[in-house]
Amino acid sequence: MATIHPKAGTGDICSFNIQHGFAEALIRGMRSSFLVDPDYHHLTQCETLDDVRLNLTETDYSEALEDYNSLTPNTLQKAAVEKLVTEFQYLRTQTVEPLSTFLDFITYEYMIENVMLLLKGALSGRDINELLEQCHPLGMFKESTMRSIPTFDNTSKGYSDLYQTVLVDTPVGPYFAQFLKESAAHRGSDSRNVLEEVEIEIIKSSLIKFWIEDFYNFAMSLGGDTAAIMGEILRVRADTNAINITLNSFGTPLNEPAMRISDRKRLYPAVGHLYPAGTTMLADVSDEEELGRVLELFPQYSAIWSIHSSGNGEKSIDDAFYERDVQMLELAFESQFHFAVFYAYVKLKEQEIRNLVWITECILQQQKDEIGKFVQVFSQHTPWRESKRR
Amino acid sequence: MSDGGNPFGYEFMNFQRLLDIPMDISPYNYAATGTGLAIALSVVGAAWGIFITGASLLGGAVKEPRIRTKNLISVIFCEAVAIYGIILSIIFSGKLNIVAGNAFTNADWYSGFAIFNGGLTVGGCNLVCGICVGIVGAACALADAQKPELFVKILVVEIFGSALGLFGVIIGIVMTTQAKFG
Repeated sequence: MATIHPKAGTGDICSFNIQHGFAEALIRGMRSSFLVDPDYHHLTQCETLDDVRLNLTETDYSEALEDYNSLTPNTLQKAAVEKLVTEFQYLRTQTVEPLSTFLDFITYEYMIENVMLLLKGALSGRDINELLEQCHPLGMFKESTMRSIPTFDNTSKGYSDLYQTVLVDTPVGPYFAQFLKESAAHRGSDSRNVLEEVEIEIIKSSLIKFWIEDFYNFAMSLGGDTAAIMGEILRVRADTNAINITLNSFGTPLNEPAMRISDRKRLYPAVGHLYPAGTTMLADVSDEEELGRVLELFPQYSAIWSIHSSGNGEKSIDDAFYERDVQMLELAFESQFHFAVFYAYVKLKEQEIRNLVWITECILQQQKDEIGKFVQVFSQHTPWRESKRR
Repeated sequence: MSDGGNPFGYEFMNFQRLLDIPMDISPYNYAATGTGLAIALSVVGAAWGIFITGASLLGGAVKEPRIRTKNLISVIFCEAVAIYGIILSIIFSGKLNIVAGNAFTNADWYSGFAIFNGGLTVGGCNLVCGICVGIVGAACALADAQKPELFVKILVVEIFGSALGLFGVIIGIVMTTQAKFG
């Protein structure tokens, strides 16, 4: 396994601040940059995008929006992501091991997404510059590396060469190597012929699976509060992936009985509450009813599944997952002297960016009744906070 | 060749003599070590507390500069712990004089032991007090950055924490009131 072992522990409450006190205090200061309930209220009341821009200049986004003349959902997303990336890179430079490795792990996910974007784009023959614009800034390699990725052929030999020349030096190289090894072992042929039949989506799911497992093992080896909180967050993430893979495979060739055990099961991460008993059961599931029955056995997921199965389009399963994730990530801020706040900050900022884009899209398309359908971050009115107060 | 009546056939070690060791160490040594422990452990506690709270204070002040001045109180509470140590060690070293004659009296032995253990008490209490105030001070700075009204509430916790050091000082003084060399 490609797991990097930490060179030192995180330290408990007495010694955490020696190495990581400054970085943790930075990220907790950045917590105040999230939009609060009144901000969201004003934004949803806006009629035009200029009103939105006016309201955003009173929040933490004022500097980010200075460079952009007009506000569209795309420019807003770009500005917000740039702001997040600047903050993240500033944070990354202030950290030492093992926190710096932890932050790097957070970026590997975006690197995997970028590599897959470039490969997919190369398949459909899109222009390299356009693709580079679309890559997530947190997951960028060197410019030369990124430009060379789409130049490889879409053949098995091409992919193998791609790995050996380009990807092997990048942090996602080990995940690619594992994927090639497992596929070769599975198909009983050498790695060169593997990738012809495998779709890009399956490659991406496999890479994400290896990343989650690697990250999980790293977090658990750190011990202490970090292992407890981050372990839980990653377990839940792995389960979300497993459920989504199963759900999305209905109606595709992956759902055929022959493919289920061999291919679909291999995409389920080897961590999580659903592993191993649940994933074995999930591998046999052929439609939504059976999926529901499997999830009934797991109390955390039966509630989410019932929203999906009984929902009449009010809330999708993605929304239910987002709500649950946001609750867990907010709770990561409740304790001090651990690393999970860094991961939580990045993910919650992402959710906030999604919210802003949703709001501006709704305003742009004049669909005011849809505008409230986002999951607010650090809201004082979420059901779980209100029930605690009562 | 003495045979201690044991299976080895020779005297491995006379464990009875271990009990003589405490009285073989001079009372001067006990008193001086106690004085050193009082200040040394207090300073360790104060330094530990200051770096814990200082790191969080610095990081929190980047985004929220207004917390800088108010939260220096946490650093001052940690520093107070070191000051307790200085005061006690000055008091103890004042009691340490050269004894006339060539034998120690009972009073000298009493003083030696009292100052050693008094110094240990003071030092130990201040060590943990410093760490406690440091950790609470770190939390106080971060909470203050988010919500200003939390500062005073968490300060109350810090005040209770710094009382621990005071307990050590009181007991240290009470233990050594009658200690006097010479």
